[in-house]
Amino acid sequence: MTYQFDWSVLWTGQSGEWLLQGILTTLGISTLAWLLAAALGTVSGALRTVPFAPLRALATCYVEFFRNVPLLVWMFFWYFAVPPLLPGPLQDWLFNHGAEFWAGMFALGVYHGARFSEMIRSGIQSIPKTQFEAALSTGLTTAQTYRFVIIPIALRLIIPPIANESLNLLKNSSVALTISVTELTFQTRQIETYTARAFEALTAGTVIYLALCLGIATLMTKIERRFALPGMIGRVASAEH
Amino acid sequence: MIEFQSVNKWYGSLHVLRGINLRIEKGEVVVVCGPSGSGKSTLIRCINRLEPIQSGEILIDGKRLSDPSLDLTALRAEIGFVFQQFNLYPHLSAMENIVLAPMKARKISRPEAEEIATRLLERVGIPDKAASYPANLSGGQQQRVAIARALAMQPKIMLFDEPTSALDPEMINEVLEVMSDLAGEGMTMAVVTHEMGFARRVAHRILFMDEGQIIEEGSPQTFFENPSSPRTKQFLSKILSH
Amino acid sequence: MKKMLTLLVAIALGAVTPAMAETTLEKIARTGVLTIGARTGSPPFAFVDAQNQWVGFSIDLVEQLILPTLSKKVGKPVKLEKKESTPPTRIPLLASNAVDLIAETMTDTRSRRDSVDFSLTFFVTGAQFLVKKGSPIKGIKSIAGRRVAAQQGSTNARIIREQAPKAQLREFPDQPAAFQALAQGQVDTYTNDGIQLAGLKAKAPNPRGWEIVGDFYSYEPYGMALRKGDADFRGVVNNGLMEGIDSGKFFDIYEKWFGPKGELPYPMSPDIKKFMIYQAVPK
Repeated sequence: MTYQFDWSVLWTGQSGEWLLQGILTTLGISTLAWLLAAALGTVSGALRTVPFAPLRALATCYVEFFRNVPLLVWMFFWYFAVPPLLPGPLQDWLFNHGAEFWAGMFALGVYHGARFSEMIRSGIQSIPKTQFEAALSTGLTTAQTYRFVIIPIALRLIIPPIANESLNLLKNSSVALTISVTELTFQTRQIETYTARAFEALTAGTVIYLALCLGIATLMTKIERRFALPGMIGRVASAEH
Repeated sequence: MIEFQSVNKWYGSLHVLRGINLRIEKGEVVVVCGPSGSGKSTLIRCINRLEPIQSGEILIDGKRLSDPSLDLTALRAEIGFVFQQFNLYPHLSAMENIVLAPMKARKISRPEAEEIATRLLERVGIPDKAASYPANLSGGQQQRVAIARALAMQPKIMLFDEPTSALDPEMINEVLEVMSDLAGEGMTMAVVTHEMGFARRVAHRILFMDEGQIIEEGSPQTFFENPSSPRTKQFLSKILSH
Repeated sequence: MKKMLTLLVAIALGAVTPAMAETTLEKIARTGVLTIGARTGSPPFAFVDAQNQWVGFSIDLVEQLILPTLSKKVGKPVKLEKKESTPPTRIPLLASNAVDLIAETMTDTRSRRDSVDFSLTFFVTGAQFLVKKGSPIKGIKSIAGRRVAAQQGSTNARIIREQAPKAQLREFPDQPAAFQALAQGQVDTYTNDGIQLAGLKAKAPNPRGWEIVGDFYSYEPYGMALRKGDADFRGVVNNGLMEGIDSGKFFDIYEKWFGPKGELPYPMSPDIKKFMIYQAVPK
């Protein structure tokens, strides 16, 4: 009665090819979504701290709207609700050229952008007000103060939570299978369909996600050390030299 | 150079500046002292509009701070400000701290800005610290970098807000020396400080503030030897008995 | 590496391992409960009806044919419990002992028989295509270059991939999403078992706007899945079904759901009726 494991299903037939495709799609959609999320998060997070109220309100709307609606809903939104707004021939072209991937990428990017935004805002707000004043008093404009002083410091302060959220983004990319993006989870299910070997397929998926996450975590730690504010976490890093 | 005309400021219901009238001439060094909460820091923070005022007028070089067409950024570039907590940019080296504003606000080329910065670091006595990050500098060294950073914009006025209060005693003098040199070169300066020795040696005029008002104003000699207000006497007796 | 993976999964399954020593019949005799996995949105096989009852053809088969036989076998009344199962979860649910029997629209295939056992076939269908009326798609020969939706984890997707590699396959986890994609033009057709498409068409806001086209391009015999190697339990399940076929009760239940007045009219062809009867071996 005990389940008989047969790990060979993972490298026989097309399994290996599918898993590889799944990894590439997962990495592709996650990377693009991360870039979008980082850009949206940095801009909106910074705008939430500026003195000009309408800009603050705009950024607040974005954050509250996008982070308080489940990711799955955003997937459906970008896949089902947005294309009908486009002209017919463009719709058809998109549907023939990976509309699923782009809809999934936008959903992930915009959703996590709102979450990044909150972290960047709290990072900026943890910088003493006098740091702004120091930059302003040397004759920098508000925009220059943000660009050269506040955001670079804030980004360094929030690397650990951002790393964590980046891992969430990678894992959340699996939600894109609901709109038929053939990412890693999709492919592990595919293997299960073909081989009826659910545990082997799920284990392969789990191990690959684990490896990807550990890879990203290691990369983030490297970045954290490289860009550490001297005197803060940097002390640890420089002590090793 | 700096003129206050009946300036009033409130923090909510707290009246922190009460009808301040004051003129600081070009080349003058004015020390502002008084008990904590007396409004002395607020007074100098109003000069580059880090704090807005609710009534009255402040003029810098004849320009009204309340003028809506005033280019505040350009004005701030002309006024150096040194903070109690230094406020260096922790992610940049001393050199980068100094060249940032000249390069971005004045559009000076990097080599030129670095040349200016190198000269300034020499002038504040730490030419070897250009590559150091703030966290690896002592408090006194950080404050001297902060002064160099302010000077890099070639300001007409320098404001100091308790520049030595956060320093260990053995570092206070190295900062005061830089400030004395600056005063000797004819810089217009307003300094909030408790360093009465510095005030006596360097100031042209001393203001004593209490509860948002200027209680007493005079040359160091009159201020220390013959103060007119009982509150000034009380303050001096406390601060000089240390 | 292989050993490590096995160990990893074994640890993950640790909680359920002790129960595995027991056969399904022993477990049912002990607890008095048969737990099945069924769909909630797959009418008329298993679905939640307007009265909020979880009903359907496959649920009736279990309740009216298998339960009585099972109760007789274990010598006490057996209660039925239902859990939601979906294509990706059904085999793990079974293997982890969370359910004892999968009674839904699961096609009996040879590769699935490597990991689970199946009961007799209780329904026969084959894959077809659902299209907007007037579509140029007429069957599996005319889908090259077209966007074809299929359900993730279904046998149909696999056949399309093999027999029509030029079709652009889009696989959705559930029927509503696939149908939505068809209705909005993200895909040109949706392929699934004919019976599923008939159910979908009947429920659509405008049933006449849709057509089911093409011959069966696959053979989909539905069976109930159970844990591999549990021959005694399988025997009881099959006996229940065979007795129902012998007594005609099986066909009454079919009529209730697929007859002219049923949830989804889908008459049983004479061939299939013969096939069902031949499955019931003599006593």
